[in-house]
Amino acid sequence: MAAPVSSVGKPSAERPPFSSTSFQKKTRSKLISIPGTRPSVQNGQLLVSTGVTSLDYLLGGGLAVGTVLLIEEDRFDSYSRMILKYFLAEGVVCRHELFVASAQDNPDDILQELPAPILDDVAIHKPVEQPRLSCEPQDNLDAMKIAWRYQNLPKVQSALASSSRFGHYYDVSKTMEPEIRQAAKCHRFYLPEHPTQSSTTHSRMIESYSALLKSLQEVIHREGFDLSTPMSMSRNILRVGLHSLGSALWNDDLSCHDDPMHSHALTTFLYGLRALLRSSLSVAVVTVPSHLIQDQALMGNITRLCDNAIALESFKGSERETNPLYKDYHGLLHVRQVPHLNCLASQLPDHKDLAFKLKRKQFSIERLHLPPDLSETVSRVSRGELAGAAAVASACGSGTSGNKHLDF
Amino acid sequence: MLSELLQGTDTGAVLIIQDSCSYSGQHLLKSFISAALNKEEAVHVLGFDVSEEELKDGLTASTQRLHFHSAYTDPLGWTNRTAFTVHQFCVEELTHLLKQTSHPKPVTLVIDSLSWILRHVSPPAVCKTLQQLKKGGAVRAVIGLLHADMHQRGTVGSVCHLATSVITVAPGTKGDEAVAKITKRSKSGKVMQDEEIFSIKGDFSVTVVSKTSHAGHRQTEPEEHQTDPTANLTFNIRLSDTEREAKEKLALPFVFSKEKKTALLQSGPGSGRILYEPDANDDYDQEDPDDDLDV
Repeated sequence: MAAPVSSVGKPSAERPPFSSTSFQKKTRSKLISIPGTRPSVQNGQLLVSTGVTSLDYLLGGGLAVGTVLLIEEDRFDSYSRMILKYFLAEGVVCRHELFVASAQDNPDDILQELPAPILDDVAIHKPVEQPRLSCEPQDNLDAMKIAWRYQNLPKVQSALASSSRFGHYYDVSKTMEPEIRQAAKCHRFYLPEHPTQSSTTHSRMIESYSALLKSLQEVIHREGFDLSTPMSMSRNILRVGLHSLGSALWNDDLSCHDDPMHSHALTTFLYGLRALLRSSLSVAVVTVPSHLIQDQALMGNITRLCDNAIALESFKGSERETNPLYKDYHGLLHVRQVPHLNCLASQLPDHKDLAFKLKRKQFSIERLHLPPDLSETVSRVSRGELAGAAAVASACGSGTSGNKHLDF
Repeated sequence: MLSELLQGTDTGAVLIIQDSCSYSGQHLLKSFISAALNKEEAVHVLGFDVSEEELKDGLTASTQRLHFHSAYTDPLGWTNRTAFTVHQFCVEELTHLLKQTSHPKPVTLVIDSLSWILRHVSPPAVCKTLQQLKKGGAVRAVIGLLHADMHQRGTVGSVCHLATSVITVAPGTKGDEAVAKITKRSKSGKVMQDEEIFSIKGDFSVTVVSKTSHAGHRQTEPEEHQTDPTANLTFNIRLSDTEREAKEKLALPFVFSKEKKTALLQSGPGSGRILYEPDANDDYDQEDPDDDLDV
């Protein structure tokens, strides 16, 4: 029985100082390391950030390379455009290559509007005033004392965030400096500059879509984003941003008629896009004006053909704008689809009621929950409790529904 | 906001006046024409809905700078004698048409009405032309009338999606008043919405009667009569100052002060420590449980 003793004694002698540990996480060496990417903790897929930290969290850590994120535009296309710009700005900061296609605005205009990155943003991600509740000195005598067992509970954090940092923060009030912007390699596709032949050679595909697909394919092959090219050369990610696909400006009547003539044009394009992305180091964000598309079955088809799908519903112009429940938010976010990558069941977001707000330095997606209602006119059962708590700091148990007497 | 739009000076504006059979937007369109003429601008009208005489009727401003391209008599060009046909609605033809009368002044293009064009030209083509007019330098502003109840919702939505401003008119509650719902998009992407009651006088000047803002719409809930439950109590619910002081002094169970908490959590200098010396009788597993790690 001497052997165990010596073997136990040996490592203790060789033990390094406590400050550094010899433990190293086993990493898969076959994954390519590209700046601005990281492997997913769930399935090892290579992820890139969307530029919106809370959206990354919602999508399971980030956007897997080779997938398509569909964004259903809000009515005035203000917030969906914002997310698209965040996505492209993140690409510029991570030195990825960009491919921007649009039929409405010149891609250069979109690129000029990219928000400025906050690069020294250490202070941003501080923990949300968590210790305030427990150890704040009682500066206010009327402050309500809560029961001791609830006192040390962490504050409910409604903003979605993961613990580790991935992606950057941006200041939407400023635009990105031209030097940073021009450092990134960007491919543009502006539909009016690509004259499309009126001859309808393709029966299923509209000329504008096939021109876009060809242009994208050419970029992928020429710049070596193809997975078939040898691995030896340094690799990079191509970020593809397609703005307002399916709108009338792409010569598509999808959003004009209830029974569109080219009803399969966009779905055919999305099949092609998906095939192209799956075999290359690229990731796409597509926005679609779904509020104009009348055919819900068609919209379902389009959603199915993308891996991730979220819908933005802005409160602007709807009666929800004045609803007190939504007063802190700019709109609702619906998750239509989460990716099923190499698996049968995917991780679903743990919360379905999500709302977003656009702050100056952050686009944040939060869990929608009712704030504590402290107003006088609230219709709750025990009015007496409210009045009592406001007058004195003591809690007088539960009040009564009637207002004749209080009972304890 | 309606008077703002009438005075509108920003270039590249596309304004759509949406009406329905219950209230015609023709008068408001004429107000816009008259306002543009008063601003010393050249106005080109593509007329499908009404004849030249009917359009010019009542316009007090000098109609020299008003150019009417009539497609009223023959919109589809069957007789080959009309000034304008539906099929000429594309950027090249329109810029050619506008160049015929050279003006140093900014040009406002009035389309009366888009519905006629949308009947005969595919909506994507119309949208494309509108977008090109918005970008190109030939015209300063485009004002179009759209009979919204004549088209499918998607078509109306697509055209309005392109417009920088949309005015939806509806009949008002009394007399010649009408309600305008205005949605205006600024260049920065900000969206403003407003609802105004307006009336149009004989000389096509618009007077905004009142604003029906959302706050006014919402009815203030009748104030509920609140009875004070603490009014007639058989016991004392208030605290005097001394009583309150005494209450504050009392340390509640399980509530620790900060000092006490740190004192409990931090180990002092003389606190315990685990010392372990390996013994021969220890049951030690020879297999390294961590051999799968790259240590």
